[in-house]
Amino acid sequence: MNWERLNLSPRITAALQKGNLNSAKELLGLSVLELQALTHLSTSDVQQLRRAAARLYCGAAPVRTALDVRNSEPGEKLSLACPLLDALLHGGLPLCGITELSGESGAGKTQLGLQLCLSVQYPAEWGGLGSGAVYICTEDAFPIKRLRQLITQQPRLRPDIPQALVHSIRFSDNIYIEHTADLGALQSCIAQRVPVLLSRGLVRLVVIDSIAALFRSEFQADESMERARHLLALSGTLHHLSHSHKVPVFCINQVTDVIDSPNPGRCEFGLVESRILPALGLAWANQVMVRLMLWRLEGTVSDGDQSCAPRRLEVVFAPHLPQASCLCGVWLEGVRGIPDVVREDPGASTLTEALCRPVERDPEQKDGSMVS
Amino acid sequence: MLRTVASSSLAPSVKAKLIRAGFCSVADLQELRPGQLSKEVGVSQEEAAEILKTLHTDALPVNDGGLVARGVTALELLQREQAQGSIVTFCSALDSALGGGVPVGKTMEVCGPPGVGKTQLCIQLAVDVQIPMCFGGLKGQSLYIDTEGSFMVERVVDVARAAVEHCSLLAEDAEQQKAMKEFTVEKILSCLFLMRCHDYVKLLAQSYLLPSFLSEHPEVRLIVIDSIAYPFRRDFEDFSHRTRLLNALAQHLNQLATQHNVAIVLTNQMTTKVWNGQSKMVPALGESWGHAAAQRLILYWEGARRLAVLSKSSRPDGGHCCHTRSLWSAHTPTP
Repeated sequence: MNWERLNLSPRITAALQKGNLNSAKELLGLSVLELQALTHLSTSDVQQLRRAAARLYCGAAPVRTALDVRNSEPGEKLSLACPLLDALLHGGLPLCGITELSGESGAGKTQLGLQLCLSVQYPAEWGGLGSGAVYICTEDAFPIKRLRQLITQQPRLRPDIPQALVHSIRFSDNIYIEHTADLGALQSCIAQRVPVLLSRGLVRLVVIDSIAALFRSEFQADESMERARHLLALSGTLHHLSHSHKVPVFCINQVTDVIDSPNPGRCEFGLVESRILPALGLAWANQVMVRLMLWRLEGTVSDGDQSCAPRRLEVVFAPHLPQASCLCGVWLEGVRGIPDVVREDPGASTLTEALCRPVERDPEQKDGSMVS
Repeated sequence: MLRTVASSSLAPSVKAKLIRAGFCSVADLQELRPGQLSKEVGVSQEEAAEILKTLHTDALPVNDGGLVARGVTALELLQREQAQGSIVTFCSALDSALGGGVPVGKTMEVCGPPGVGKTQLCIQLAVDVQIPMCFGGLKGQSLYIDTEGSFMVERVVDVARAAVEHCSLLAEDAEQQKAMKEFTVEKILSCLFLMRCHDYVKLLAQSYLLPSFLSEHPEVRLIVIDSIAYPFRRDFEDFSHRTRLLNALAQHLNQLATQHNVAIVLTNQMTTKVWNGQSKMVPALGESWGHAAAQRLILYWEGARRLAVLSKSSRPDGGHCCHTRSLWSAHTPTP
C-alpha cells in the first residue's frame, strides 16, 4: 500500500510504514487506541489519518440522491410469467436481494422455481433478463421430465409472446443444474462455480431448492450457534453475488410445524394461528428481503379440461409490497394465477382461517410431472 | 485548568515517557523549550517540538458550537432542545409516545423482527423530515445509509406521493399553498441522499466522513442507518473487537447528532436468547449496544397487529405501548 497517496504529513506516513499497515481497509477496521498503539501518533493525527483513509476507500464520487437512483436504475423485475402473479409482486422478483418461497411439500414451490428458470430467458421487454439460470438441487434429483413438459407448453403459458421467439430459444441449454449433497458442496458451489457463470453473463438467476434441507440435516438441535454461523456465511455470499451482478436469488424453503402455544421467543411475522412457519428461524429470516409463502388449499379448481388443487401465493413481507395474496393453480403449462379477488390485507391476515384446515394431496406422479 | 499529561491527546508511548520523566500536568511543560524537553525525556528534538505543538493546540478553546469553550446553562440547553423540533411519523399514537415525533439532536434505535416495518418507518421519516415548516415540519433533507439492500425507490415514491397529497389537503392559507408548489415528489426524491454500504468497513469509513458531509449539506436533519446490525453480525470472529468498534461508532454518532443538530435513526435486528429455559426475542448486537442510542423503540407482532413500545427513553412516560396500524395505507395516514 502506497501511503503517499493519502497526502499526509511525512511524519504520519513514516509512522504508518513503521506500523506495518497494509491497506486502507485494515486501517479503518481498527479503533483509535489500536491505531495509536501501532503508529505512536496523537489522537488528532489518528483522526486525520482515518478521514484520509476513509476518503480513499469510499472513492471521490458525490453522494447520489433518490432521484438520481430512480432515473438511472429502471427498476426492472424478473417476471413470474403470469400477469396476476406479477401484479401481486408489483412486477416480479426484484433484481437485488434474496427472495424466499416456503410452503409445505406438494404446494408447488419447485414448479415456480422451474417456471422462473424459463421466464428469465426471454428478453427484457417480455419480463425476462435475456440470460440463463443456475438451479441448485439439495434434496431430490432435478425434475427433468417436468422441465421438458413446461418447455413444450411455453406457448400456452405465454400467449402474449410471438411464437417465433418462443421457438427460437433453446431453453434447456441455458439452465445449469448443480446437485449438492452436503453443506460444504453447496458453499463451494456458490463461492466458486456460480460466480464464474455470473461473470460470463451466462446466468441471471440463481435458484436454490431447497435452502433448508442441508441445514436441517447436518446440525443437531444444540448446534444452533454453529448453524447460524454457516447460515450467515452462506447468505452473505448470496447477498454479495446478488448485489454485485444484479441477479435475483430465489431460495426455496421448507416449513416447520407450530406445535405449542404462542411463544415469545418465536416470531410469527403476523401469520395468525398458522400451523406452519418457514424453517430456519430468525437467523435466516433476517437475511431474506422478500418472503413469500405458497399455501395449498382444499377443493379443486378447473380451467377448461384441467383441474387441480387451488394454491394461494402470499406475500409475508417485502420492503416494497403490502401483505397480499393471490389464488393460483399448478397447471400443465405451469403456475398461473386464477382471477380471484386479489385481496390486500393491511395488518390483518383473515385468510389464514381458511388455511388451517388439513389438506389432501392430488394424485401427482412422483417425479413431479403432472397427470395430464 | 490543570490538565494532566495522561489525559492529553498524545500517543500512549509518548505519554508514558513524559510521566516516567516526572511530568504530571500539562502546565509543567509549558515553560520548556524543545531542546530542554528532549534532554529530560530522552526523545529527539523534532519529537519534542511536536509534543509541545500538540499540547499547545489542545489547550486552545475547541469550537464546536461554543459548548465546550465557555460552558452553557441548563436553561439555554432547554431552550435549545425545545427549538430543535421533531420529525412526525404520521402515526399519532407513536408521535405522542415520542413526544411529538422523533427528536432532532438525538439518536434513536428501532428494533424489530423482519417484516414488522422498520424500513417502512425509516422511509416515512426520510420523507416527513422534508415537510415544509408551515405545516409543522422541518423542511430538512435526509441521508439514508442502506446496508441491507432493502431500499427500494418505488416505495419512497409511494410514501412521498401520500405525503404530498396529505399536505395539499391541509393547505389553507396563501403561505401553505405557496409551500406546496415546492413540495413535490421530485423535490422530495432529490433531497433524500442515499449511501449504500455492504460491509462494516465501508460503513465505518462513511461514518468518519459524515462530519464533512454534514458541513457541506447543512440542511440535512435526519440520518438513517438501515440497518446497523446487518454488517456487524457477519464476518466477526472476535466479539470484543466488534464491541469496541460499535461503542466507538455509537459515541461518534451521538456526538454528531448533538453537534450538527440531526436526528439519527438506527435499525437493529432481533435475535433469540435462551434465558432460564425460556426463549425470548431480544435486540441484536449484545447487551452493551443497548446503551448506545438515547431512545429505543421496539416494534413487534402481537397476533396480526404491529405494536410499538418505547423501551428506553428520557421522557417520563417512556414505556408506553401504543398501536401502530399498518404503515401501508399509501393514501391516508394511519390513525
